[in-house]
Amino acid sequence: MRRERGWILIPVLAVLVAVMPQLRDATGFATSYVILASELLFWAALATSWNLLSGYAGYFSFGQGAFFGVGVYAMAVLTVRMGWDWWQAILVGGVLSTVLALVVGFIAFRLRSLRGEIFALLTLALPFILLAVARLNDAIDGGQGLTVPVPKVPGWIGTPQDFFFVVSGAVAVVAIAVSYWMSQTRYGWALFAIHDDEDVAEAIGVPTFSHKMYAIALTGVIAGLAGGAYALRVGFVTPEGTFNLRVPVMVIVMSVLGGRRHWAGPLVGALYVMILQNRLQTLKLEGWSLVILGVVLIALVLLAPDGLMSRFARRRWTVAGVAVLGVLVPALAGAFGGDFVWSVASGLLLAAFVGFLPARRTEAGEAGSGAVAAQGEWADAPASADEVVVETVDVKKHFGGLKAVDGVSIQVRSGEILGLVGPNGSGKTTLVNLISGFFPPTSGTVKVGGVDTTGMRPHHIAHLGVARTYQIPRPFPSLTVRDNVAIAIMFGREPKSLHAARQEAERYLALVGLAGRGDDLPGGINLHERQLLEMARAMATRPKLLLLDEALAGLNPVEIDNAVEVVWRIHRSGVSIVLVEHLLRVVNQLATRIVVMNQGTVLASGEPSVVMRDPQVVSAYLGRSADAQGH
Amino acid sequence: MEQAIQAAISGALQGSLFALMALGLSLTWGFLRVINLAHFGVILLGAYLTIEWAGPTGLGPLGVLVVTVPILFVVAAVIHLLYDRFEVSELNSLLISYGLLILMIQLVQNYWTADFQRLPGDINPYATRSVSVGSLIFPLPTVMAALFAAVLVVGIRLFLDRTYAGRALQAFGQDRQIAAAFGIDHRTLGILLAGASGATAAVAGTLFTLRGTVTPDSAMEWVGLVFAIVILGGIGNVAGTLWAGLLVGAVSGLVAVVWNPATSPLVVFSLVVLALIFRPQGLFRRKAAH
Amino acid sequence: MLRVTDIDVFYGDAQALWSVSVEVGEGEVVSVVGPNGAGKSTLVNSIAGILRPRSGSIEIDGVDITRVPTHRTCRAGVAIVPEGRRLFPAMSVRDNLDLGAYHKEARAKREETLEWVFSLFPKLADRANQVAGSMSGGEQQMAAIGRALMARPRLLLMDEPSLGLAPVIVDEVFDVIRTVCSGGVSVVLVEQNVHRALEISDRAYLLTEGRITMSGPAAELANDPTLRSLVLGV
Repeated sequence: MRRERGWILIPVLAVLVAVMPQLRDATGFATSYVILASELLFWAALATSWNLLSGYAGYFSFGQGAFFGVGVYAMAVLTVRMGWDWWQAILVGGVLSTVLALVVGFIAFRLRSLRGEIFALLTLALPFILLAVARLNDAIDGGQGLTVPVPKVPGWIGTPQDFFFVVSGAVAVVAIAVSYWMSQTRYGWALFAIHDDEDVAEAIGVPTFSHKMYAIALTGVIAGLAGGAYALRVGFVTPEGTFNLRVPVMVIVMSVLGGRRHWAGPLVGALYVMILQNRLQTLKLEGWSLVILGVVLIALVLLAPDGLMSRFARRRWTVAGVAVLGVLVPALAGAFGGDFVWSVASGLLLAAFVGFLPARRTEAGEAGSGAVAAQGEWADAPASADEVVVETVDVKKHFGGLKAVDGVSIQVRSGEILGLVGPNGSGKTTLVNLISGFFPPTSGTVKVGGVDTTGMRPHHIAHLGVARTYQIPRPFPSLTVRDNVAIAIMFGREPKSLHAARQEAERYLALVGLAGRGDDLPGGINLHERQLLEMARAMATRPKLLLLDEALAGLNPVEIDNAVEVVWRIHRSGVSIVLVEHLLRVVNQLATRIVVMNQGTVLASGEPSVVMRDPQVVSAYLGRSADAQGH
Repeated sequence: MEQAIQAAISGALQGSLFALMALGLSLTWGFLRVINLAHFGVILLGAYLTIEWAGPTGLGPLGVLVVTVPILFVVAAVIHLLYDRFEVSELNSLLISYGLLILMIQLVQNYWTADFQRLPGDINPYATRSVSVGSLIFPLPTVMAALFAAVLVVGIRLFLDRTYAGRALQAFGQDRQIAAAFGIDHRTLGILLAGASGATAAVAGTLFTLRGTVTPDSAMEWVGLVFAIVILGGIGNVAGTLWAGLLVGAVSGLVAVVWNPATSPLVVFSLVVLALIFRPQGLFRRKAAH
Repeated sequence: MLRVTDIDVFYGDAQALWSVSVEVGEGEVVSVVGPNGAGKSTLVNSIAGILRPRSGSIEIDGVDITRVPTHRTCRAGVAIVPEGRRLFPAMSVRDNLDLGAYHKEARAKREETLEWVFSLFPKLADRANQVAGSMSGGEQQMAAIGRALMARPRLLLMDEPSLGLAPVIVDEVFDVIRTVCSGGVSVVLVEQNVHRALEISDRAYLLTEGRITMSGPAAELANDPTLRSLVLGV
């Protein structure tokens, strides 16, 4: 749980960008370096903006060229045809691009049938549409291209090249600052959760639609600004040069290479890609740069999808030290004929090499079953009044001809552990999905604390006090055990900061006996622990009702006993529980009341010992002999 | 009015060429669950190889197919081996094949330059001819594209419905586990299908060169329209792909004439968005499933 | 004929079967009963080669098929009627049946087998050209059994054939099971409908919580009160 201190790099970068023009006279840096640096910062900005939606939230987009292109053409059209100042044009470009992004997001994220692949393909078409519009529309371009005038450069900056550097640098600093800020706040964490499992994100209270809209809007505004900076810098724009395959290739390769989950990933990726391209140019091999980028992309996706930053982060000081030495030693020694870019390239290569060295095994490993006896100050809070926590009224859910749930009316009262049982396909899990709001009912109503929840989004229902676990545990795989719980706290009824949520998470981990496993990833703990993690995460939303869907499936007897103990503890803290379970032995032991479902309807309900002797229930489970059916 | 009919039919004929491009993509997506952007690279190769070999070999543009079809069959099958070996997910196949596509485009550009290329007039007798029906006139290459598309669609449909391998592929696309339990080996069939889609790419590439010029960037220009056709036609739906191609072509042709050419892509992609909202399984459902 | 020895089967790290052993003799009907979630489907899917046990072995006539790829297990003479039928929904009944006879030996005898299947289920002959997904549950169940028979199995695995069917159809299905096994085919029958399953079986296993908890002649199990308490947990 290291505090993130990387933000220090951002003011450093900002200061560097601001004072660079002055330093240049003192150090005698060549203009070609400034040009390279401006280009690098531009790509870093664009790749970072892409990463906000496509990296953080996992909605892969090939459409970055469209948002970028709107910025480019806003700059070109407004300065050339309307005579605006560059700074007005760049801001308007940012706004227009945001509007486009919001329109795309509003259409795409409203589609129920939309899968990631379809989103990617839709965005693939976007630049293509704008290309046709720009090429054929004389008010925009008309196919001839536009020459953007060189603006008057402020006195303190010096040459136009320095000016372009400052503008690109400013956009990059904004982009990286936004990216960092998001990675430390609810806005970014909502996207991380969406990336890992969007349904679960909703279920723990993340308003997924609005957060995707924030993300795409930020992507749009930064890409628009970067587009304006680009148009200013290159001075001549054409539709084909703007809405082409270069932009998506570059931002995708940069982000995948650098690491999509880290705020600095796209920056690092941009550094590598730009230096590579530059060196290929000096070697007269620029025709091979896309070939190499293609191969790099394929190799990364297959072999190292996490990118460089995830490797660097493990030994950040070593990597930084090696990189600095790798740059400075040859530079000061005057190696490579004094060509500074070669020195940078050598530093980057060394850093990558160190990053890919095999990791030392520092952890204790999987030292036995980590689920220890729970501790913590969990006061027993017996439910006060006998109130109805959740109620379904004649609720039905039909899938085509299949009547999965067909008129179920049940009430869950405070202080109850309601066992929901029945043969396969009797509709238990569908009922859970109806209560937690994942399916709208075909008819009937579901009420939570007396509030009709029909038509509410699941995160809304989570805030009303309904939490759930899944039959097959669905922790967010890329978040640590602690952060899995923390994210539920961040998006609870009262929003909390990441830091506060992480501290509070310990309490819930202790409740289920996972204290000490907080730093592990879900992939590194066993099934039993993942099921306990699901319970901790659900409890962190501070529910009134917890829906446990097959929380004991696949466990051995010792683990079952432990899980039962945890369920008792949760119940004693004042939470009502609906227990969907195949293990009738356990249900009979835990439940205060049992509801038996069969073929979508309630067959019986009451005391466990009574219900399980009901002849109808017995025959639902054991079937009837042919004779008993009257043949 | 007559102008509109001419525009719609010309557009539809052009659309059939894009349907031809979409065929292989739709098949591998629908049956093998890979979204293979490299398909466009294979089409591009088909086009360039046609221009390269049609004259010197004396085979002519259509005769070249004898050579390009087997070559591109192998190329596509080898690409599929990569996906199969690493068991890539749908989304990752999109990324990997994107890498392959830019790589192929760049290689084509390095070898053949970025300049426009076309078949010399003396070995492309089709370019200047046209077919007239009453007062309507259609360029011969687009008519040929429509014929080839129709023949291939019928052929593939027959293969899928009438042969054991074809039906096994369908079964595999509908339920992999159970198909395997009945002895259907996905690996051999998958490579066969991927190769077949490469063969359709060869045909599409050749037909593209009959009508005009090609550059390495042509591949990227096809992508949007072709995916629109795949989605509208229904993923894996062979006949639907052809209908969608004709529809998209006719709509673009009409819009371009009665409104203006700049709006036609907007209209086409609005259609795609609407289709995704109301008919996510495509406009032309073949048979009722479930 | 079938010998399953001490198999452990996992889904990821969730263990579904714990050291399960089952034997089926030539021409025998053996049922595997138990509450849902007990691992019955996991067992038949493992025998069919769809799931792979982490340890233990599965032998057919003494030949180990534990590590054979899924698409080769059917050559050993195993065919499955999966839970929920899982026909190829967009294809015709005839196509579904033909695909049952996909592997080489079965394909050679396809026409002959088809006649036999149509004689068992005359309705399927009428529905041969109908799209499988559009038929009623009972008809689909018959098609699924027909598809499995087309593979000319010596061991037929039936997973919950009565699930969701009307009692009359269940009778019909169970009649067919009897007919099939009288022809020398061994049957493993997985059922939630314990009583019906025991009625037509020679022997039975009770599977609870992933373990075999009872086994013996079907008639004995049917009258054993512990069966009920194990299933209902009371």
